[in-house]
Amino acid sequence: MAYCVRCGVKLTDGAKSCPLCGTEVHLPAGIEEPVAEPLFAEPLPKEGTKGITKAKKGMLELIIILGVVGELTVAISLWIANALAYSFIPLFSIGIAALSLLAIVLAKPKYVQQASWQCLLMAVLFLGLDGVDFAWFWSLIGAASLLLFWFCGVFPWSRWAAEHKKVSALMMLASIIVFLVFMNILLSQRLTWFAPVALPMIAFITFMTGLFYIWLTARKIKRIPVADMILGILVIILGSCTAFDFFLTHYQKGFFALRWATSLGIAAVIILTFLIGVSVSLRFRRFFTSHNQHD
Amino acid sequence: MIRIQNHAPEGFIALDNSALIYPPTEAVYNANTFRVSMDFRFTIKKAVLEQALHDLLHRCSYAKVGLHTGFFWYYLSPNEMPAIVHEEGPYPSGRFTFKENNGYLFKVIYSSHRIGLECFHALTDGAGGMAYLKLLVERYYYHAGIGKPEFADSLEFNARPTKQEFSDPFQHLYDKKLPSYPTINKAFHRKGGSYDDRVKVISATILTEQIKERAKARKLTIGEYLSSVYLYCLQQLQQIEEPVQYKRKPIRLSVPMNLRKIFGYDTMRNFTLFAIVEIEPSLGFYSFEEIGQEVHTQMVQAQSKKRLLSQIKRNVAGERNPVIRFAPTALKNPLFKLLSDYLGDDQYSGIISNFGYVPFPKELQDTVTRLDFHLSPGLLNKVALAVIGYLDKIIINFTSFYTVDTELEHQFCTFLVEDGIDVEVATNRNSER
Repeated sequence: MAYCVRCGVKLTDGAKSCPLCGTEVHLPAGIEEPVAEPLFAEPLPKEGTKGITKAKKGMLELIIILGVVGELTVAISLWIANALAYSFIPLFSIGIAALSLLAIVLAKPKYVQQASWQCLLMAVLFLGLDGVDFAWFWSLIGAASLLLFWFCGVFPWSRWAAEHKKVSALMMLASIIVFLVFMNILLSQRLTWFAPVALPMIAFITFMTGLFYIWLTARKIKRIPVADMILGILVIILGSCTAFDFFLTHYQKGFFALRWATSLGIAAVIILTFLIGVSVSLRFRRFFTSHNQHD
Repeated sequence: MIRIQNHAPEGFIALDNSALIYPPTEAVYNANTFRVSMDFRFTIKKAVLEQALHDLLHRCSYAKVGLHTGFFWYYLSPNEMPAIVHEEGPYPSGRFTFKENNGYLFKVIYSSHRIGLECFHALTDGAGGMAYLKLLVERYYYHAGIGKPEFADSLEFNARPTKQEFSDPFQHLYDKKLPSYPTINKAFHRKGGSYDDRVKVISATILTEQIKERAKARKLTIGEYLSSVYLYCLQQLQQIEEPVQYKRKPIRLSVPMNLRKIFGYDTMRNFTLFAIVEIEPSLGFYSFEEIGQEVHTQMVQAQSKKRLLSQIKRNVAGERNPVIRFAPTALKNPLFKLLSDYLGDDQYSGIISNFGYVPFPKELQDTVTRLDFHLSPGLLNKVALAVIGYLDKIIINFTSFYTVDTELEHQFCTFLVEDGIDVEVATNRNSER
């Protein structure tokens, strides 16, 4: 019978290590201990079982009960009021609300999982409410917007997207284009403003964002000052507004001109010049900053 | 005083007061089970054990029941399905699968040298479970032709069950005029590491004589001494987890007390209340001697009949509250699940159940090699500690959900070793640990 040299406890015959601290047992050479009977008939399984914990189970039961009670109450009330014909919208809404709560309890407590379920259920709610008369319109806009939100606001935070950054950026861009095509067709029954306004706008914003990204990543010092970040984003926004005015005027009037975004364009150019100045000239940068540690 | 079960229709047995919480809260990490088992020198024969189980159910008809969901409460009703004996699995006190057990609330298990009884707490408590095991062993000896041993305080096989055996003393002792026992705030809970629902056991065997001597030197009983060691270890672990003194939450232990001797009842249903022993580490570090004094005082106070009656009043009053009583089970179930932590596990940092000494009849003294008692751990308190004494030994079983963390067990056993007590440990954890 061996003792643990660290804890001082006796170990069962044949123990390879101490169950308390994990210290290995080293018997003198040539000595072999008989192995004691295991504590239980079968060895411990490699993994535990999966199941719903008590608190989760309680939440689920409560949601289901409240959902059922809510549905029954509304249905009976409408039946008594002889208004069962209008029961679909409240009953459907209660059902989706219950499903939404169930998703909160059952889905993993991760942003991507939770947001995905809520987007899906919200889209179903929109389509369901709008589709009472089997004619869908506003819900399609809502559902498409939710899909766009998912591609741009949820999917990029997934593990897959983190591993495939370029592909996910392309997918994001594709989703924006598809969304705009869909909206154009839905609202105008054919492609009208997409090619003359939306497409050049997307190209412009992508180009500006790309430039901004290259400017930030090509710097010697990787730390990005907040001011540079804000000013860069401001250039993209102001420039985009200017470009929008430019392309919209061409689409509406037939010639290229700026109607309301001239001042925005000038502001964008000034900020851009300033950013180029601080990037190119150290002296210029030092003039505007309180310290001289920048590149 | 009203006995609720007297008004029940035939075939309907109301759960006892403390059992009401177990069926609705049963879930993963909340098995609400315990196991008592005996190891023998001879090999256990399944057929003989089945006969013994048949005898047990014949004698204790109140155990021949299944659990059912009623509209207002869970209830027990006679179970006509045949009872099964099960081969021992990889760990004790796991989640109970009633279907696999033909609906019975206790499970007889066997391995080559072991007879065990695993019980869902809705049926009975540790003392009740041990009484069933004793009768089972007696009948096994009888059918195997080994002998006719008789435990000192076991159920007599040939006698008819007395009324007391299936009474719910909580209902008898309820006095609505008493003030309710106060509820307490949250206690410290260890963070520990990763966990899963496999019950990992570390079993420490110590000599009764040695621990008795160490406890006596401090004017403590063995139970008080072990509770003090447990509190001391938790205090040390808390110091590591929470370095800021004033932020430290109280460390409380829940110590189940068998009320049968205190109130003179012989029931085979749950008749246990929990003594709470605590220290306040936010006030400063407690030496072991200080903890010992605190535990001794608090244990004496907790066993006062007046305090126990007040606790019983609180528990039974909850059951008798008309709002709770007439709320449908479907609504009560989720609320019990959500509130049980707040009213139970949240309030204490660990559980130590000391079964005490189990005397053996002469015929068994040479053939029994080991006696075990295991509790199911919980999600908030992932390590449970069960203590049982027999012959000249005491077995301390730590049941844990932690996958790797054995720090509490380590501290506990090391303390005993440093106090001059020989400790032998065994485990069902993987061979490399």
